[in-house]
Amino acid sequence: MSTKKNSVFSDPLISNNPITRQVLGICSALAVTVKVDVAMVMALALILVLTLSNIIISTLRKKIPSTIRIIVQLMVIASLVVLADELLRAFLFDISKQLSVFVGLIITNCIVMGRAEAFAMQNPPKYSLLDGLGNGIGYGMILIIVSVIREVLGSGSIMNISIFPASMYVENGGWYVNNGLMLLAPGAFIVLGLLIWIQRTVTNYIEE
Amino acid sequence: MPKKSNPFIFIALLTISLSLILSLASTQLKTLQNTNIEVDKKRNVLKCLGLDVSLLSPENIISEYKTRISEIIIDVNGNYIESVNFSELTFRENMITGESIYTFQGENYLPIFKSSLPEAIIIPISGKGLWSTLFGYFALDTDFNTVKGITFYQHKETAGLGGEVDKKWFQNNFVGKKIKDNEGNLVSVKVVKGKSGNNIHGVDGISGATITSRGVSYFLLRDLKKYAPYFNKQMDRIH
Repeated sequence: MSTKKNSVFSDPLISNNPITRQVLGICSALAVTVKVDVAMVMALALILVLTLSNIIISTLRKKIPSTIRIIVQLMVIASLVVLADELLRAFLFDISKQLSVFVGLIITNCIVMGRAEAFAMQNPPKYSLLDGLGNGIGYGMILIIVSVIREVLGSGSIMNISIFPASMYVENGGWYVNNGLMLLAPGAFIVLGLLIWIQRTVTNYIEE
Repeated sequence: MPKKSNPFIFIALLTISLSLILSLASTQLKTLQNTNIEVDKKRNVLKCLGLDVSLLSPENIISEYKTRISEIIIDVNGNYIESVNFSELTFRENMITGESIYTFQGENYLPIFKSSLPEAIIIPISGKGLWSTLFGYFALDTDFNTVKGITFYQHKETAGLGGEVDKKWFQNNFVGKKIKDNEGNLVSVKVVKGKSGNNIHGVDGISGATITSRGVSYFLLRDLKKYAPYFNKQMDRIH
């Protein structure tokens, strides 16, 4: 793989991560990270939508009249989101109920339109595919890290499997109580803030 | 630089092809989705009784439902109707009030889910919140007064605000409350502002969801009133 291809895929994973560096897609990152399984499905849905929208927009990029390009991008993205939502309701009904409006809100997720406008409109499909995958995985990674921390601290489980012995809990005579704050949005804010801090310290990035 | 397409033709072609794909997906997935919705309703009927249904597979839910629940039909005066089959009822939503209307050959009927273990009766409830119609179930103990549980299986209220109605903390609050006052009048259970404390006819409100809460209080009373004749007849029979 050439270096350009490599960086197109790997940049958004850490150094140019859409959530921790560009601070996009925060709404869903806060809302659907209470449980790991829900966050994983959300991440997959976004990777699917983002990659496909990037490929489609990029394939059509020379044909799309520039006066209506935003409308075209939105139509493609919205159709893909509806499709993803239909698939979830058919095959992962419970999780789709927990995700509620947030699947639909992928339409307004700045990452998807941002990549379509900033990358797919200028680059050929094979790069756009990598860019979509990279950004999608970069987003998904953060979602899963946040959700693992929140589920462990907030519910004492991972993927709904308890990881602490039941005897440890106060109601069974132990000393431990799950941290309820982690189940609420402020818990996600704190975890995400810490992640952004760590990421920026590691990459030496300072906001201008 | 290749020539850009005519915007009108381009958008027309795109619209047609995208709608084709979406309608194809929608029709192909319809049966699967409907099965999921049916199972989800049964799951909520069971959940309403206070059973833990979170780990049951769809097959388990269907079998549990079969062993515990019998579906019966009453008319608007509260009499048992045996001539009509549960599956023959046509469902319609009153678009203004969000009320569920069940009819058979032009006559209105009311469905009841009777549970044998634990003994309870469950009625469907529905009505308008802020953005949408909420659909759910409401379970009463055999005294037709004590609340056994409430669930909502479909709504489009704001997540985190009105959407809290499908959370445990809100639903658990209903358990043990009474729908009748000391004189035996139907007063239902109301969602109050703030904490309900010792109020046996009120549950804790949801901050930021005044209109959803008001909606729930309103349609709960309205739907319970429809079943009141049946409740009274059953109580007379016991005494």
